[in-house]
Amino acid sequence: MFKITRRGALQGGLAVAASVGAPAIVRGQTRPSAARTIRAVFHGDVPTYDPIWTTANMAAYAGGMVYDTLFGIDEQQNPKPQMVGKWGLSDDKLKYTFELRDGLKWTDGTPVTTADVLPSLKRWAARDGGGQHMMLRVKDIAAKDEKTFTIELKEKYGLVLDILAKTSTPVCFIMRKKEAETDPMQKIEQVVGSGPFKLNLDETKPGTQYVYDRNPDYVPRSDAPSGIAGGKVVKVDRVIFVNMPDAQTAVAAVQAGEIDFYEIPPTDLLPQLEGDKNIKIQVLNPLGQVGQIRLNFLHPPFDNEKARQAMLYIVKQSDYMKATFGDSKYAKVCPSYFGMGTPMENDANTDWFKGGQNFAKAKEMFKEAGYDGRPIVLLQATNIPYMNNSAMILAQEMRQVGLNVQVEPMDWSNVVQRRANKAAPNQGGWNIFITSSGGNAIGNPILLAAHAATGDKAWFGWPSDAKQEELRDKWAVADTLEARKAVGRELQANAWKFVPQLYYGQWVQPAAVRSNINGLLPVAEIIPWWNVTKG
Amino acid sequence: MIAYIVRRLISMLPVMAVVALFVFLLLHLAPGDPAAIIAGDNATVENIAAIRKALGLDEPLWKQLLVWVWSLIQGDLGKSMFWNEPVTTLIRQRMEPTIALAGTTLFFAVAIAITLGVTAAARVGTGIDRFVMGLAVVGFSVPVFVTGYLLIFLFAIQLKWLPVQGYTPIAEGVGPWIHNLVLPSIALGLAYVALIARITRTTMLDVLAEDYMRTARAKGVAPRPMLLKHALKNAAVPIVTVIGIGVALLIGGVVITETVFNIPGIGRLVVDAIARRDYPIIQGVIMLFSGVYVLVNLLVDLSYTVLDPRIRY
Repeated sequence: MFKITRRGALQGGLAVAASVGAPAIVRGQTRPSAARTIRAVFHGDVPTYDPIWTTANMAAYAGGMVYDTLFGIDEQQNPKPQMVGKWGLSDDKLKYTFELRDGLKWTDGTPVTTADVLPSLKRWAARDGGGQHMMLRVKDIAAKDEKTFTIELKEKYGLVLDILAKTSTPVCFIMRKKEAETDPMQKIEQVVGSGPFKLNLDETKPGTQYVYDRNPDYVPRSDAPSGIAGGKVVKVDRVIFVNMPDAQTAVAAVQAGEIDFYEIPPTDLLPQLEGDKNIKIQVLNPLGQVGQIRLNFLHPPFDNEKARQAMLYIVKQSDYMKATFGDSKYAKVCPSYFGMGTPMENDANTDWFKGGQNFAKAKEMFKEAGYDGRPIVLLQATNIPYMNNSAMILAQEMRQVGLNVQVEPMDWSNVVQRRANKAAPNQGGWNIFITSSGGNAIGNPILLAAHAATGDKAWFGWPSDAKQEELRDKWAVADTLEARKAVGRELQANAWKFVPQLYYGQWVQPAAVRSNINGLLPVAEIIPWWNVTKG
Repeated sequence: MIAYIVRRLISMLPVMAVVALFVFLLLHLAPGDPAAIIAGDNATVENIAAIRKALGLDEPLWKQLLVWVWSLIQGDLGKSMFWNEPVTTLIRQRMEPTIALAGTTLFFAVAIAITLGVTAAARVGTGIDRFVMGLAVVGFSVPVFVTGYLLIFLFAIQLKWLPVQGYTPIAEGVGPWIHNLVLPSIALGLAYVALIARITRTTMLDVLAEDYMRTARAKGVAPRPMLLKHALKNAAVPIVTVIGIGVALLIGGVVITETVFNIPGIGRLVVDAIARRDYPIIQGVIMLFSGVYVLVNLLVDLSYTVLDPRIRY
């Protein structure tokens, strides 16, 4: 009969302990050391591996690790060649010729060719507003050989390089032909990139962590890194995107050194983090976010220009910024339609701002607009603090003018669903919702969908203004920065007249970074992990 | 007995069917659109519509329900709308941390709670009794996330004894595995300890007042065997019932604890899925939790036959 002895039990226990520990020892030999691994927590989870399928920034963060772009925006917002080596523009400015640089290789070992680039451009353009804007002016995209391709235009268009280089989502990432030929409305199945990192699927656990290992076959450019342009030299072995939705836990984890980077520490905890000598507070996206109050053009009262203009006299941006950020150095007011600090920032038609909040004037204008006291439905996203606070302030300000505001609290995902509803506000539609966009995108009249004033085809709120569209087209063909700035002034003067949206401020989100992490590059809307060192 | 078990297992089917229907309708009739979330903030109405079509969300509700139920009958919980991975794979990946957390919590909470409850009953009216009951009130009143943050602040940030967050699989060593589980288990177990300790004390006091206990005392049975062999065994049925009912409390607590301590378990999976309206994951996990709860209740019922020989099915 089988008999359990004390010695036998001890031996058995040791054997189990040894076998349980063994896999760790085996893995320990292949895993990079902690000193060569960066653990980073961002504002959200990676929603999909397909960066073309969504406009969510996290998909671009993940895409930027494994994919490369033909051009990249540098720190001064200038497009610079990235996968492209030599390039040229014909004298009539209608034909671009691009040659891929040497050494580009997919992580499956095959070379990157124009056979990959062409379908990538088509798939991306099918989903991207900027891409679609460009494609309307493109006559033909053709491959001359494995390394050279051309983009031929129907008319002069000054934005080709800017659009190929942009960091606003979806970014024009180049994919392998196999994935690039996927229906743009379907997700890609495999992640095979030619970028500075490769996704380690064995250690990645969707929703928990995404493991990116240095791509040893990546050949960086020789020029210095700047923005997402220049040499993407990877100086660590591994970067792990950790999904940690609880802000309090993430702050504690960065304080304890369990993570190296936290993108969005809450503003009220910043003083606590600033006092920690092991942590530095860094602003990586200097243009930050611009808060938008979006008005619905389809229904009264905001189908009337006068009522929309009146809103400019109601909103006092400094109150909104104070409510969310306190007396923070990270927030400011934003009277420019193109955001503060962007190349297009200007002060055209901003008397409403200079004159300050004016309830009496607003009241008068609503009267002129024929406001009849009907409820104005304001969607309040209660789970996003700055949107929640801003909705409460806006409702109060509007009530002070005698407007009948009906605040409808819900979570952000419900706002996202509800805002697409074109029905009347009392039948499931809406009058106002609050959101924000990247300052970088706000500064570009073409790339941000919210700037279009194409009525039914425009972004939520469906603003319609022929002059705005005419000016946007004029801006797109302007070929110098000065010319663009001049059109930018005209655009702003017109925008603050027909008022497609209002702003409630602009702010930057400082990140909490362990003090031994260096080399993070300031870029709008993507966080690059090349050039970064640990220790 | 076998016939009873089979009958109970068969009776699970209509329960699970009602749960399935309820969960499906609740999710699909509630506001929120996964396609809009996937598309991102700058997406146009056309983009969102295209994604909705790709996900099959443009189909009539009854058709979506039939497709899901048919898959369910075949043992297929569907695929995540976001990661394109089968829900069963995602649940399998997240199973270990949840079982580890719930298991260790259950084990230690039951051991500690019964000890406290028996001690309080044996010393009724004394300082020990009042202390244990005070502890139980606090344990039951303080929410898991408050306890969690306080534990993190004290033991991880100030004393640096334990990690703030995360989970180490047992395959990477028993030491690191336990290291990661200590704080979440305490945070999760506190309410459970309070519940079981209170019911243990109350039931023990009832049993201790019975005639046969007085007889045992009169016959000179020593206090410890009297408490553990005579009283506790007779008090076991209600205690085990509460332990079983408390599994629901534990499941709810796991969801919060995993979020606070960033443990990649099933609780986190479902919280993330709810925020994104990833219907297949939410439906799959709720079906799993419901099944576990029904099975635990069955086990509790079966345990009565062992604890009280008078009970027969």
